[in-house]
Amino acid sequence: MFWSVYGLWALFLLLMFVMFFSFSLFFIFSDFAVFVEYYLFSMNGCPVEFMMVFDWVSLMFLSFVMLISSVVIFYSEEYMEGDENLNRFCYLVLLFVLSMGLLILSPNLISILLGWDGLGLVSYCLVIYYQNNRSLNAGMITVLSNRIGDVGILIGIVWMLNFGNWNYFSYVLLEDMGSEFYWVGGCVVLAALTKSAQIPFSAWLPAAMAAPTPVSALVHSSTLVTAGVYLLIRLSQYFSVGVFSCVLMFISCMTMFMSGLGANYEMDMKKVIALSTLSQLGVMMLSISFGYWKLAYFHMLTHALFKALLFLCAGSVIHSSGGAQDLRYMGGMIEFSPVVGSCFNLANLSLCGIPFLAGFYSKDLILENVSFFNFNFFIFIFFSVSIGLTACYSFRLFFYIMGRNFFMFFSNFGEGSIVSVSIIFLSFWAVIMGSTLMWILFPIPCFVFVPIFYSVMGVLCVIVGLWMGLILWGVSGSYLFLTGKSVNHFLGLMWFLPWLSSNPLLSKLSLGGYFLSSDLSWGEWMGPQGVFEGMVIGSSIFQWFQDNNLKMYLVSFAIWVIIFTFLMLML
Amino acid sequence: MLGIFMFLFMLSLCTFVCSWEVIQFGLFFVSFLSLLFIYRFSGFNCFSLMLGGDLLSYSLFGLSCWICSLMLMASYKVYKNNNEKVKFSFLVVLSLVFLFLSFCCLDLLFFYVSFESVLIPTLLMIIGWGGQPERLQAGIYMLFYTLCASLPFLVGIFSLYGCEGSAVFYYLELKGVSMGWFWFFVFVVAFLVKLPMFLFHLWLPKAHVEAPIAGSMVLAGVLLKLGGYGLFRVLWLFQSFVKSQGGWLVSVGLIGGLFTSFICMRQVDLKSLIAYSSVGHMGIVLGGVMTLSSWGCGGALLLMVAHGLCSSALFCLANVVYERFFSRSLVLLSGMMSVFPSLALWWFLFCVFNMAAPPSMNLFGEISLMVSLVGWSEWTVVCLGMLSFFSAYYSLFMFSSTQHGKSWAVFCIEGVNFREFLLLLLHLVPLNLLILNLDLWLYWF
Repeated sequence: MFWSVYGLWALFLLLMFVMFFSFSLFFIFSDFAVFVEYYLFSMNGCPVEFMMVFDWVSLMFLSFVMLISSVVIFYSEEYMEGDENLNRFCYLVLLFVLSMGLLILSPNLISILLGWDGLGLVSYCLVIYYQNNRSLNAGMITVLSNRIGDVGILIGIVWMLNFGNWNYFSYVLLEDMGSEFYWVGGCVVLAALTKSAQIPFSAWLPAAMAAPTPVSALVHSSTLVTAGVYLLIRLSQYFSVGVFSCVLMFISCMTMFMSGLGANYEMDMKKVIALSTLSQLGVMMLSISFGYWKLAYFHMLTHALFKALLFLCAGSVIHSSGGAQDLRYMGGMIEFSPVVGSCFNLANLSLCGIPFLAGFYSKDLILENVSFFNFNFFIFIFFSVSIGLTACYSFRLFFYIMGRNFFMFFSNFGEGSIVSVSIIFLSFWAVIMGSTLMWILFPIPCFVFVPIFYSVMGVLCVIVGLWMGLILWGVSGSYLFLTGKSVNHFLGLMWFLPWLSSNPLLSKLSLGGYFLSSDLSWGEWMGPQGVFEGMVIGSSIFQWFQDNNLKMYLVSFAIWVIIFTFLMLML
Repeated sequence: MLGIFMFLFMLSLCTFVCSWEVIQFGLFFVSFLSLLFIYRFSGFNCFSLMLGGDLLSYSLFGLSCWICSLMLMASYKVYKNNNEKVKFSFLVVLSLVFLFLSFCCLDLLFFYVSFESVLIPTLLMIIGWGGQPERLQAGIYMLFYTLCASLPFLVGIFSLYGCEGSAVFYYLELKGVSMGWFWFFVFVVAFLVKLPMFLFHLWLPKAHVEAPIAGSMVLAGVLLKLGGYGLFRVLWLFQSFVKSQGGWLVSVGLIGGLFTSFICMRQVDLKSLIAYSSVGHMGIVLGGVMTLSSWGCGGALLLMVAHGLCSSALFCLANVVYERFFSRSLVLLSGMMSVFPSLALWWFLFCVFNMAAPPSMNLFGEISLMVSLVGWSEWTVVCLGMLSFFSAYYSLFMFSSTQHGKSWAVFCIEGVNFREFLLLLLHLVPLNLLILNLDLWLYWF
């Protein structure tokens, strides 16, 4: 199994993970950074260069991307078995990893664009991998939402020329830069919001689950959607002040809450996991808006691991149920895939923030810091409620798939060997990396001094959430409250965001038809056809004069006589 | 310079005696010769008998040589069916001769004569080897749009002779021209029609769609750039008018580009979609040129060269499909990815380069032009943002309509030849590799 193209690339990426991780450890402890620059040109004093920065932030994130992509590629050898276009899939995933690497390593807004655009386009190719209409629609909405962000970065590049340099490490204090820099910041924040699917651009993330599951594991859990978060982490000294902080705080809080609510109603398994990713992205953005970029970075890394693990387990479940993704077709899988089930459980509990698993270290730390610097009661309430909702839908997911009674119609039980090996491998890292990263990133621990109620708030919310999940979903007949009340529609359909984000663009399409028809009608009339008609009319008039009409001849004779007489009279 | 002219003229006469392959070799030879003149400084050089040029001339001449060589490679059907291939190759080389004369001449009257003469081989190509009966109207449209705008230009040249006594570029650039604002519009409209600007663009979809592949390639690749080139030469003489009146033209260019993007979103004809997207790109070029800034002029040349290669490649891709299915309709052509999987990569690459994705030259051209336009006025940000977004939409609409989904082509068709892949590779390689040497194009003024 190692001789296939998948195995070799998985091995290569694993070695890259080891190399980058060790380099990042070395760099973080010796406070070292390497800049590599390829100078393209400089015009009027603005240098356009392709630059790569190797410091511990980029190297550690890159190593995690390499780890997850190696596991995903290894997994997809068995998952995508039987597909005719296996090679294309493998190379698309590798191209994606390359684009992500280019994004991570760039301190320069122009070379970020290289990775950013590449990410958007390669993820489009991956989402439209299956040749059906649903994938096409999903791919279109994915790439167009990401394109809004690309346009934002393009406009940001253009504005940043005003300051002469596109490297974000050249600008230190936002207040010194003048009001123009807020435009750059605004464009970059817009780009990050679209890429990380915050409100109002959240419609694409659940829709993009039309992609194959390995793609979702790599792209929509750990890399593409965290690109926006990473961009904001890199430029974070600008976003913890003033208007950016407030806007980001509000948007991320609302996203967190909305997706937590939506995941409780959603019936497609992958969409539930997508909405949970969206919720955690809201947590990361919230942390950035407070200014705790290191905590956001930590949460990004741990979340990448256990979310990818969750998607891979979901993929195995999809295989076992013969391709069904709907939760209502599943139940009792724990009997038939115990390994996958236990890793699924591990990932779920980690997501909730159960103490001493990976998610606990990052999420609880963020919550404690939020309650320490008590900005706003509204934010605090929403954050706690979202943590409870996370626990609620995690329980729901686990119960529907693994718990309940045995419910299977299909006979494809069991778990493949390659799938199980990759899942166990990733779960090993998911377990270890929580505490390991805590010790690496925070050699001096964060100091938080809060009353006892706030410090146990995280665990309390999780317990309350789990209890709510048990009440709502764990008993039979729990479909009863999903009747057609409008509040259920509102909460379950993500506050109608998909409808809101697609309809304005659809109405613009008819504008195109209007322009086309006016081009063919008025454009022709004002231009060639109108001139042609005019010339036809004019030349027919002239031609009439040349018909040698006797009346015309006599009239012109009479007119000349009159003119001649007048001339004679005047002279 | 005179040597190149003599070589080209001899080549055009050789088309009557030599075979197709020799002519193709000769054209590639000339395109490599043209690279010899590309230096990194601005200003005219290589003077000979009224021929010479600066970096702008030589880069566009290099582009036209390259496109003409690829035109012969693309027109394999003419060669195989022996459809008057001698006359066809003569027309291709003749158009290259006239293009060379237009780009590498130093006198405005000489430029006018060769600018008009380029139309003749193109018209003959469209009418002689085009596919549909609509090609007659297409030829008439192209001819009369260009002529109606450039005959006043001829009168303007004569009045320039009367005013200044000479129409040589380098002399006029140094001396400056003092003519009225009316003459400014007379000089500029001739090239706005060629560029084309939005209100004068109706000839372009017709001509591009009805032309054979070689005609489409030369039209999209080079003839539009002739308008841009003329605009550069003429604007340098009328700088004060550009500063005062240029805003009108920038607005029409940008908003026109936006309108044509909307039109592209609703097209069903594949070649028509590519043609309208050319109008959009040239609208941004017009905007950048009218700002007369360093970023604007450098970016305009960059985008012109990049767009020439990219649009020409898209027309080649459309032709690959047309030669097999005899249809250009997006409604009928779908699922090409299942039928021609390797070609899907090329479709994707050129579609995304059309929407200015990295790492293509289009991206840098667009960034430079956006920089110059936003520096000229902040309000262009709105239009430019919308233009980038909608160009992404229609490019990916073109890609997904042709490539994705179920294909109805279940019968036996010819696979994609090595020649066609080579053609596309030869379009891609300059487009992607020249990024490493962008300062060559950006410093031409």
